[in-house]
Amino acid sequence: MLLQTKGICKHFGGLKAVDQVDFSIEQGKLKSIIGPNGAGKTTFFNLVSGLYKPTHGQVTFQGKDVSHASMNERSQLGITKTYQITSIFPRLSVFENVRLAAQSRVSMFNSWRKAYSYSAINNRTMEILEHVGLADQQGRTASELSHGEKRYLEIGIALATEPTILLLDEPTAGMSPAETVEATHLIRKLSNELKLTIILIEHDISVVMGISDEVMVLHEGKKLAEDTPEKISANETVQNVYLGKGAEPCSR
Amino acid sequence: MSAKQKTQETTSYKPYSWQAILEFRAMWVVLALGLVLPFVISKPLATEIMVYALFALAFNLLLGHTGIISFGHAGYLGAGAYAGAMVVYYGGVGVWVSLLAAMAGGTLVAVLIGLLAVKRKGAYFAMISLAIAQMLYFLALSPFKRWTDGEDSLKLPPLSVDFPFHIDLSDQLSLYYFVFVIVALAVLAQWRILSSPFGHALKGIRENEDRIRACGFDITRIKFLSIIYSGLFSGLAGGLLAIYLGAASITILFWMTSGIVVMQTVLGGTHTFMGPFIGTAVFLYLRNNISNYTDRWEMWVGAMFMALILLFPEGIWGTIVQKIGERRRPSAS
Repeated sequence: MLLQTKGICKHFGGLKAVDQVDFSIEQGKLKSIIGPNGAGKTTFFNLVSGLYKPTHGQVTFQGKDVSHASMNERSQLGITKTYQITSIFPRLSVFENVRLAAQSRVSMFNSWRKAYSYSAINNRTMEILEHVGLADQQGRTASELSHGEKRYLEIGIALATEPTILLLDEPTAGMSPAETVEATHLIRKLSNELKLTIILIEHDISVVMGISDEVMVLHEGKKLAEDTPEKISANETVQNVYLGKGAEPCSR
Repeated sequence: MSAKQKTQETTSYKPYSWQAILEFRAMWVVLALGLVLPFVISKPLATEIMVYALFALAFNLLLGHTGIISFGHAGYLGAGAYAGAMVVYYGGVGVWVSLLAAMAGGTLVAVLIGLLAVKRKGAYFAMISLAIAQMLYFLALSPFKRWTDGEDSLKLPPLSVDFPFHIDLSDQLSLYYFVFVIVALAVLAQWRILSSPFGHALKGIRENEDRIRACGFDITRIKFLSIIYSGLFSGLAGGLLAIYLGAASITILFWMTSGIVVMQTVLGGTHTFMGPFIGTAVFLYLRNNISNYTDRWEMWVGAMFMALILLFPEGIWGTIVQKIGERRRPSAS
């Protein structure tokens, strides 16, 4: 197992945002976490990425207990996440956005050598920009990009930190249906070509069914089910959560 | 074969933005103008502009390039001035050693403020830095009066440099060029620092602190180093100031120094490299001329500051850069 959580909990006062979740993922797999809004998906991600420390339970990565490692330490170990709300460096160029993230693996404190003189980093930046389809936009200021392009840049920044495991928090948020399909294909492609281990959060089941190796369903902070996409689709409990009886009056 | 072709394709990047190229040229133009400045305005004013421009650039390492607001920069400048002056006064050392001591003094205060405040953000950092600078002011004023001469400034004898060749610093023009060369080297060093991986990380912190942390950067230590650099260059400016004034004076440590450097920097443009330099030149030129006519120069400078900020919301140089960018955009896309 590349990454594992055991009985992990995060309580905010009386609210059990994540409650006793056991989760694990093998090297090279793409696993999705789905659940309705407020199910605890993002909180779970933040426990894995290190933004939050667990109330109980532990996170192990490559056999090591990382429950108390900080976010930048975990990033250096190879756990990287993208943000549900686009988080880029708005006034820097597209190239610099990705290059800066790539630089994090090589140098932080060197104050004399020129940042653009590291040809390995520059090349890697261009490779990543090609992977996410932004190579011809490299000179533009990031804030000028369209919403969809910003979402790709977001993934590019994450890729540049050479993650062993990539946590994607609703990468298709705010995209049109056509863009969503395209982005979904890109994610599967990254997983195949770069042999990346990916955990994907979605609230839209249809996005993940086609591309995931496995799916975990969260509901009110608890794990509801964990199985292959086919079995999850057929699972009655899951259907109840999503088609929930309470929702009927609204859907009419 | 095709793989080789592909790597060649992927290396076709052009990382330098037009802003960076513009700033780089502007830096050389300003430094070239510095060569003739003492023939355009009075020599002491030109020297003062150089010293305070270096101070403002050092201040902007934190404000504009890292996104840290400091209200305590008088502490670094004052520590530099007193450290530089005291080693001359009590130790009888030369000018070069005095400047090294000034840098050490500024750096020491930066370490102190850094250790106490590096994890604080926004107004909290500003207040802690202000408090420490005020503490230094009162320490220099009274408990350490034996060494600092308190309200009477610590006066220096006429100074001269003997290495690499003789420069008589009591001559106004020689003093100007001595200060100018050191300031120019410090400006180039700061440009170099900002072009380094560290300097780029600073921009990342300014743009999006959470994201740069998530990329694996150690924010606390990077900020700490940034505070140290700011203290070091401010200290150097302080050392030059003591030489220019011929004394280390308590007013350098007064909180107003910290306020004025904010005004000078904002006036020039915080999001630029040369903005603080230009802002300082304009500010000191206006102050000098207005104070020739009236003792109430603060009021007139204040009014002009407001007028200029209304005209140039991003600072004088910052707004010019912005306008050039707007003009470029239609043709670029």
